[in-house]
Amino acid sequence: MRPAKIPTEELMTSGHLACQGCGATQAMRFALKALGPKTALVIPACCWSVIDGPFPHSSLKVPIFHTAFEAAASTASGLKAGLEMRGDTETVVMAWAGDGGTFDIGIQALSGAAERNEDMIYCCYDNEAYMNTGIQRSSATPAGAWTTTTPIKHYKKRPKKKIIDIMAAHSIPYIATASVAYPLDLIEKFKKAREIKGTRFIHVFAPCPTGWKLAPELSVSMARQAVTSKIFPLMEVTDNGRRWSVWKDFEPTPLQDYIKAQGRFRHLTDEEIEGIGRETERNWQELLMKERISLELPGLESE
Amino acid sequence: MGEKIVFKNYKEMPIRAMSVADMTWNLTGSWRNIRPYYDFKLSPCRVGCPAGEDIQKYIFLLIEDRAEEAWRTIIETNPMPAVTGRVCFHPCMEKCTRKDFDQSINIPGIERSIGDLGLENPGWMKKTKASKKEKVAVVGGGPAGLSCAFYLARRGYAVTLFEADKALGGVLRWGIPEYRLPNTLLDDVITQIVESGPITVKSGTALGKGVDLESLEKEFDALFLGLGLAESRALGIDGEETDGVEAGLEFLRRVNSGEKVDPGKRVAVIGGGNTAMDVARCALRSGSDVTVIYRRTRHEMPAISDEIEEAEHEGVNFRFLAAPKDIITKNGKLEKVVFQEMELGEPDESGRRRPVPVEGKTFELELDRMFTAIGETADLGPIEGRVGSEWNLIGADGESYQTSRKGIYAGGDVVTGAASVVEAVAAGRKAAEAIERSFTGAEDKAVEEPKVIGFEDINTAYFDHSNRSLLPRIDHKEAVNGFGEIHLGFSPEMLARETERCFSCGVCNFCDNCWVFCPDVAIIRKEDEYEVDYDFCKGCLVCVIECPRGCISTREEGK
Repeated sequence: MRPAKIPTEELMTSGHLACQGCGATQAMRFALKALGPKTALVIPACCWSVIDGPFPHSSLKVPIFHTAFEAAASTASGLKAGLEMRGDTETVVMAWAGDGGTFDIGIQALSGAAERNEDMIYCCYDNEAYMNTGIQRSSATPAGAWTTTTPIKHYKKRPKKKIIDIMAAHSIPYIATASVAYPLDLIEKFKKAREIKGTRFIHVFAPCPTGWKLAPELSVSMARQAVTSKIFPLMEVTDNGRRWSVWKDFEPTPLQDYIKAQGRFRHLTDEEIEGIGRETERNWQELLMKERISLELPGLESE
Repeated sequence: MGEKIVFKNYKEMPIRAMSVADMTWNLTGSWRNIRPYYDFKLSPCRVGCPAGEDIQKYIFLLIEDRAEEAWRTIIETNPMPAVTGRVCFHPCMEKCTRKDFDQSINIPGIERSIGDLGLENPGWMKKTKASKKEKVAVVGGGPAGLSCAFYLARRGYAVTLFEADKALGGVLRWGIPEYRLPNTLLDDVITQIVESGPITVKSGTALGKGVDLESLEKEFDALFLGLGLAESRALGIDGEETDGVEAGLEFLRRVNSGEKVDPGKRVAVIGGGNTAMDVARCALRSGSDVTVIYRRTRHEMPAISDEIEEAEHEGVNFRFLAAPKDIITKNGKLEKVVFQEMELGEPDESGRRRPVPVEGKTFELELDRMFTAIGETADLGPIEGRVGSEWNLIGADGESYQTSRKGIYAGGDVVTGAASVVEAVAAGRKAAEAIERSFTGAEDKAVEEPKVIGFEDINTAYFDHSNRSLLPRIDHKEAVNGFGEIHLGFSPEMLARETERCFSCGVCNFCDNCWVFCPDVAIIRKEDEYEVDYDFCKGCLVCVIECPRGCISTREEGK
């Protein structure tokens, strides 16, 4: 066999219940390929609690603990403690939550677990709204987007919550963003996270064709353009929240292309899109500034 | 496939809510309304190649480190890649999809490397024996004749190849200077072709020179005429026979045969085609100051643009919009030439603007030698009145290569007028196929034209910009000091870099993208192909978009 681009072991099977072109399933498939079979998942209410399949079936070949919306991080903390008591130090525990369960409902438990530096991976797969309940806004929904709770007349005005800043403020050993459009990078980051002890937070951008009013075939393309238009930068924060590094080695694409391809932004005027563009550029510059400052800080551990 | 578990009552339920089966009973293929399917298409380079070389395939095979198969792929359509890799005008590069991204692939450079490898590995050429009863005579040992003989011999037909000169090669030997195509290399190529199968060579023999049409017709079951264009066209002005005025082709013939030539210091070459460029650059190498004089402008010159640029860089002068009017002699020798200045008028039937004389405007040049290179023409004397011709070219059908006389086929320059080596090679092969069909009675297979990939079908997100690798070369100053080959071949590293640039338009090269990105794990990755698992494919078509090279097509379900 020719060498494969990504690991060939499949821990997610066909037959799952995700919509056509679902980014969240790609994210899960890649993450599990990186982490391997010795992984235990904790999934709060989110798309994935549906995608996996109805009881007593599961489309994943690793154990999943379904838990309440707000409880992903605390359940994962307990699961890890229980495994350790039984002498299992090999299994990695991963909380796998959507943006609603991370940015909004689960943030208290997440903040608590991160502050205690619980030994787990917390992955937020971000499709930028409460998708499985019918596309309600979350604090991860970007400014300008339509959702059923931010209809066109009152589309979302507030910007997306800066979850990476929040997590960096918890001084945890590893934070990263990843995108389903860059599977090699995503897999590398999960592999890296697996080897680190303490709370590792990975934010995965996972397009939702259904909720974004997007043709399903464009889902990976949108994930890619989110990165190349700088609206979702790929980065890592290491050294307990101090060292920022941003991926810049890409050919930029116009933000317009990204916005205009998606039905959830269709109501926006060109001026409004320009406004989003200015905001995106400021965030990007701010991020680069953080990276520079983090490099100049004295006493930094080298990577 | 997993089984669906249905609990009939609470007693069947486990104590703990725990999954016990997977989801593969759920055939999500029923959600699909559009079906993706693997549908390889034609890469435009292949369409652009007159010989129809499967360029994408041999580049892919090279990347896979399967050089012998790459060579075999070329040989299917062109028996002399080492030659065409050096002298072809490479229309494939004009069609290369990568041209619209950054720069087209250096296809001739790659072709040349493969051709040279084929010469370095004589074992690659599998020899064939005569296995059919029909015998064919091929008249003319140039690219068309060699190609026709090669493909007939491969099919098991015994071929006798007649060549007027001492050695085979035709225009490749006497028309193309050594700095573009070394004689020793040409010898190797010809030896390889001739020794590949039942080919008997009769050199120094031609129609009207040892054999005639009727005797050949009697002896052989079919004839292929690849006579080429070996005669220089005359200027049609007085004094052309003067000592000091020479046909460019004659000069090239002398140079290529290794004769020491001294054309004198002040040399003019009349014409704007490849022969003019070759003559000018040979004269330059013989120590002359050379001016090419062409009656139209640079824009209309029919020569390969690379050759024009080389000539310029080497120091050939150009004078456009002028044509010789009077040849003035002194003591029976050329003294000077009066040139008429021209301007461009209305376009003629070739689409180029016609040069018209500017009344009263002339200039004179004192010259030691004037070469004429305004075109070549065929010597059809030996077949006159027996094989139909027009404008001193043999008339042959574009598909069947059949002439007006049954059993006689023709191809190459003698049919098309001055064209290119690769077109002659293509004609030779197609004529061989037509001759075989005439023996077997098989119909010409009408193949459905596959779709050709365009730049819009390429997902450029998967490619980084990079410049074309150029062949290493000796510099212009050094080049004019002799007849050594100017361009050298790629090093293995350069070859690897250049082949990696190929988009592999329309044909899968196992990049894994479809398999990687399928959200439904519905692409089956096999040793030499991928397969869509229609039990589970939901028809999202992410694979169609993420295929960098347009290998996957779609159709509506139920249609």
